[in-house]
Amino acid sequence: MAALVLIALPLVVSSSFAIDIFIRVLLFAFIGVAWNLLGGYAKQLSLGHAAYFGLGAYTSTILLIKFGISPWIGILAGGVVAMLASLPIGALCFRLQGPYFAIATIATAQTLMLLFLKFRDFAWGAEGTTIPNQGNSPLMMQFDAKAAYYYIALVLLALGLAITYWIERSWMGYYLVALGEDQDAAEAVGVNVPRIKRDVYLISAFLTALAGTFYVQYIYFIDPNTVFSFNISVEPALVSIVGGIGTLWGPVVGTILLEPTSALVQSWLGGARGGVQLTLYAVILIVVIMWQPKGLLGVLTGAYHRVFRPASRSLHG
Amino acid sequence: MLVTVAQAIVNGLLIGGIYALVSIGVTLIFGVVKIVNFAQGEFLMIGMYITFFLATGLGVDPLLSLLISMPVLFVAGVLLQKFMIRRVLGLGDMPQIFLTFALSLLLMNVALLLFSANYRTVQTGYAQQSIQIGPLYFGAARLIAFVLAMLLSVGLEIFLRATDLGKAMRAAAQNRDVAMLMGVNPDRVFGVAVGLSLALAGAAGSLLMPFYPVYPTVGQVFTLMAFVAVVLGTLGNVRGALIAGLMMGMAESLGIQFIGADSGMIVVFVMLLLTLALRPSGLFGGRTI
Repeated sequence: MAALVLIALPLVVSSSFAIDIFIRVLLFAFIGVAWNLLGGYAKQLSLGHAAYFGLGAYTSTILLIKFGISPWIGILAGGVVAMLASLPIGALCFRLQGPYFAIATIATAQTLMLLFLKFRDFAWGAEGTTIPNQGNSPLMMQFDAKAAYYYIALVLLALGLAITYWIERSWMGYYLVALGEDQDAAEAVGVNVPRIKRDVYLISAFLTALAGTFYVQYIYFIDPNTVFSFNISVEPALVSIVGGIGTLWGPVVGTILLEPTSALVQSWLGGARGGVQLTLYAVILIVVIMWQPKGLLGVLTGAYHRVFRPASRSLHG
Repeated sequence: MLVTVAQAIVNGLLIGGIYALVSIGVTLIFGVVKIVNFAQGEFLMIGMYITFFLATGLGVDPLLSLLISMPVLFVAGVLLQKFMIRRVLGLGDMPQIFLTFALSLLLMNVALLLFSANYRTVQTGYAQQSIQIGPLYFGAARLIAFVLAMLLSVGLEIFLRATDLGKAMRAAAQNRDVAMLMGVNPDRVFGVAVGLSLALAGAAGSLLMPFYPVYPTVGQVFTLMAFVAVVLGTLGNVRGALIAGLMMGMAESLGIQFIGADSGMIVVFVMLLLTLALRPSGLFGGRTI
């Protein structure tokens, strides 16, 4: 039912402003889902996922512009590059725990941004480049109809959720939760912690890179400040926390709340004054952290249990 | 060539004094309260705006406004500990990281709303002067900032070693539970630690103002510098943060001199990644504040 509504949505809604918001919701929910695998289940709070978003975007764009290779191949190549990059980055950053892991990931994303800003022969430097518009050419991931982008984003999100669902129910899911709860205890009972972190980081990086390629194909432009932006690293963490960190649907719920709100706030105020959107985000984040650390999903399920099943307090909490 | 290198080192060392103040603040909060303050740079930003408005509104010299920015931020720190940080202690990594992170986001964007993104500077008589020693130039404002930053650092060190409250703070940093059993009041100690840490950030802001523009996101680069410095200087180690802060300044300055104007931060990040690869416990492993 819900799936049918989602598929029919672009057919009923004609406003391109609305479709644009839907696409952004799907895309950021997808990045949130990718982040949540590492940040939510394994509790490795990365603030550097822009590294993979940017690598994905640059890989497919370089392949497209310099070698004429379709972004459909580029998107997978970007995913592979991101996975390869996650190995050394993970090897370094996983030496640290908690806040210092987060700091180290910030440093890696910022370093990549600075490198892409500096090496202009290799990737257009700070000016970036527009992606040549070839009209409606599905083979080059370019479409006249915004609906097409909507469906791609929908498929990406479905992919991310399916992978999360599968991991949740596999051995890996239990290992992840164990290491998220207490890394030393997990190690003591025989969980191969470094390996499980590496594996989940590979998956998370791969998915994030797909989002990067999709995003630059959608906006027809790439530069280091956009695709390696700190906001790209922050947003998935934000939507996961607000929605419900470490849950399948948390990032989706969080994005549905935050993304349209910020789009509406921006269009009301016409971007006259910067800062309103992020001020709002920050206040929501502080409220959630201090009063409802389980996120919106926690509030909703709590309310559901109180209203419908007062007798059986859920075992899953 | 040698003079160029020496001059770059001098410039880096002088700005390194500011990095050291911010880093000591971060490491002090981490050592005592076990929280990483992502908003430390934003408190420096607030210190800079206080200094700016005192200077342009009332004609107060930036160096004199130290006497206002430090107490104001000390009180802000005590309140921050009392009403926000205290509530998330012991709740795990997520709330502890993202609370101060959200606070940083909030302060930056409220500043943007209030003051716009414009760069603002304060003109002083001594900003353009410099002292020449041999072939080397020392900018007067930077030199004053460095000297005062070092005095404040030494002052903090004396406070931690010679006063009862300072000793209680070190005790709480070494072992919170045992310190509490010995009668240390953790709320009081934590409040003073966060207050002092923010006061140092405020001082850094005031000292920076004569030779650095203020804008809402000015703190970000200082927070990043401080994070690198506290990892390099071993988490929770005040002297380590001081030395590493000075090293960061010199590394950045040499990077700018020899690799290019936009490369200072690359050098700093590479230093962080190398530290993580080769010596993840930092250069001064083992000791806490």
